[in-house]
Amino acid sequence: MRIYRCEDSLEGIFTGIYRAYEDHSDPKETELSLDEDPRLFAEEVQVVPDREKSKKVVRTLCRRFGEADYMGLCHALASRDDGRAQAVYRTVAQGLARNVAVGHLFDNLADDGVLRAFKLSQNVSRESQHLKGFLRFEELKGGVLYAKIHPGNHVLPFVMEHFADRFPQENFLIYDVGRELFGVHRRLGTWNLMQDSTGTLIREVEGVNRSPSEAEISELFRRFCHTITIEARQNPKLQRNMLPLHFREYMTEF
Amino acid sequence: MMELLTSRKTLSVSEKLEILTDAAKYDVACTSSGVERKGDSTMTGNCVKAGICHSFAGDGRCISLLKILMTNECIYDCKYCQNRRSNDVPRATFTPEEICTLTMEFYRRNYIEGLFLSSGIIGNPTLTMELIYRTIYLLRTRYRFNGYIHVKAIPGADAEVIRSTGFLVDRMSVNLELPTADGLRVLAPNKHRKSILTPMRQIQNGIHQSRDEVALYRHAPRFVSGGQSTQMIIGATPENDWQILNVAEGLYRKFELKRVFYSAFVKVNEDKDLPALPGGPPLLREHRLYQADWLLRFYGFEAKELLDESRPFFNVMLDPKEDWAVRHLEYFPVEINRAPYESLLRVPGIGVKSARRIVAARRSTNLTFEDLKKIGVVIKRALFFVTCSGKMMYPTKLEEDYLVRNLTSKEDRIRFGTDGMSYRQMSLFDDGMFSGKMEASDKWQVVTGQI
Ligand code: SF4
Repeated sequence: MRIYRCEDSLEGIFTGIYRAYEDHSDPKETELSLDEDPRLFAEEVQVVPDREKSKKVVRTLCRRFGEADYMGLCHALASRDDGRAQAVYRTVAQGLARNVAVGHLFDNLADDGVLRAFKLSQNVSRESQHLKGFLRFEELKGGVLYAKIHPGNHVLPFVMEHFADRFPQENFLIYDVGRELFGVHRRLGTWNLMQDSTGTLIREVEGVNRSPSEAEISELFRRFCHTITIEARQNPKLQRNMLPLHFREYMTEF
Repeated sequence: MMELLTSRKTLSVSEKLEILTDAAKYDVACTSSGVERKGDSTMTGNCVKAGICHSFAGDGRCISLLKILMTNECIYDCKYCQNRRSNDVPRATFTPEEICTLTMEFYRRNYIEGLFLSSGIIGNPTLTMELIYRTIYLLRTRYRFNGYIHVKAIPGADAEVIRSTGFLVDRMSVNLELPTADGLRVLAPNKHRKSILTPMRQIQNGIHQSRDEVALYRHAPRFVSGGQSTQMIIGATPENDWQILNVAEGLYRKFELKRVFYSAFVKVNEDKDLPALPGGPPLLREHRLYQADWLLRFYGFEAKELLDESRPFFNVMLDPKEDWAVRHLEYFPVEINRAPYESLLRVPGIGVKSARRIVAARRSTNLTFEDLKKIGVVIKRALFFVTCSGKMMYPTKLEEDYLVRNLTSKEDRIRFGTDGMSYRQMSLFDDGMFSGKMEASDKWQVVTGQI
């Protein structure tokens, strides 16, 4: 058994995949690991993230499997599941070995590695899909929009991408509470992520007042949600199924 | 009159929003799907093909769009509608600016995916349509809104105004209101089948023309690119499910509608022409119609396979696909590793997604029941109808009685007998009795297409 110890980032994991191929490792005897837990009888390889190598991997994946399936792999890698690197590696290895056509990387669901990666990918894409709808911005004094989320998976990049396209003219901040991570988008500019482990930024942001119209507009929306409900069809159970309680923590209308 | 005008002027935006949301809430369609549009750095908004749900109301329905009427000061007198002229209810009218501001401020905060603007008839149909047009024009040009817009086309309005509006919006709909012309005559004396179908046809033609032009010049303006939809009220008039399903099928085929929505009748007015609904709105019936609608659109079923004159109502205990399956045992069992995609789709418990996955996965391996579970097939329903490499999961019988017993719950069988009685027979009962059965998982499966 050979274990590639990778840094927990797209770059780290893609470099790991590169190294495994460079070394002609046998996929059945190879593991990509994100932790440092010692393993008996295994050959250890420390992987240093390498931008050029990971770019090559990305290009290969896109060319061989297509954009959509490449995105599927990225989603899987954003999962919080510890086995994500290994599942993606297994999936890529079987895809290359079987020389699957573009768009068919995840076909072979009877393979446990593929099934695992597919499930992780679906799970992440479902969560980011949900947040694209359930996330709520508040307007701060000065017009900056600010939202808090608490996702299980690392979906912030996907969510930022979505809102950057939607609100090119807005300055906005999205804060992942669990990861203490800010996504920052500048009006007519780009976006990036900022780690805030010391809590300096969040204290600053929380200290800013809401804009003068914020209370009124959020109240209008609460009224709207309340009024749109058809009493004769009340169905809180269905509501809870469609909008699980844990999303509601930061939602204006609840 | 003066007094009325001034008192109306003093309504705040908040009061108007409450009145005109309440007046719009029985409209069903709240979807924002069907259009993919990238952002534009000079505007606010984009559109996502799959649509996005932003919230869910207390009735479990999705909130995706700011769904409001422009006005409820309606000159018509439709008997099923709370805004009918003869009702004494608070009245209000939004100004175009108010609608634009609400839309923009809600959208920026990610409360909504866009605007769904409908209206009562103010003055006359053309005037109403013109006001809608002006509002949307303002929203797109001055407010630079690039998100999703759905508006109603008002029957009887001048064709030119409808056309101009169509170039600004993503979806248009004309409400069929009631399934048949007879129903319309009784309950909506100011509306006529013909004046409803005319704009429907106009929009259909507009969509075709625009598609041709876009194919020629990429930048040609797009007309209603998210397609056209309609809705009808179920249970206010005596049509049976068979008639309703045929109407829907006709609309899909002849008018190429994107969606037909069904709305269980909620009785808000007392009127001798309206049915008594002691059990509340016919929700199970609405649910079955949606399931059948799904079968028409994605599963290759025809209306005549699901119902006919001698069986004009859906089975209360089985969903339309199970019901079809137990009456067509000659099609089964279906062999998972060989059957064509179309046959897989006919198996209860296999939805569009899992059928696709089966076809993809079996290229690399022979699938087992274990694999089917992983793929997402609802095994406890599918197992009666399929084999994997020639074997059934465990010994079962391909017999109607046996299957009905296994596909339904004991409580329902005791209540209705094992022959799956229809609505007609149970009209004495309360539809609400079933509401427990159709909640959560079934509803969700309709949404995801896993019937
Ligand atoms: S036209 Fe009929 S259905 Fe529409 S608002 Fe007026 S009364 Fe109601």
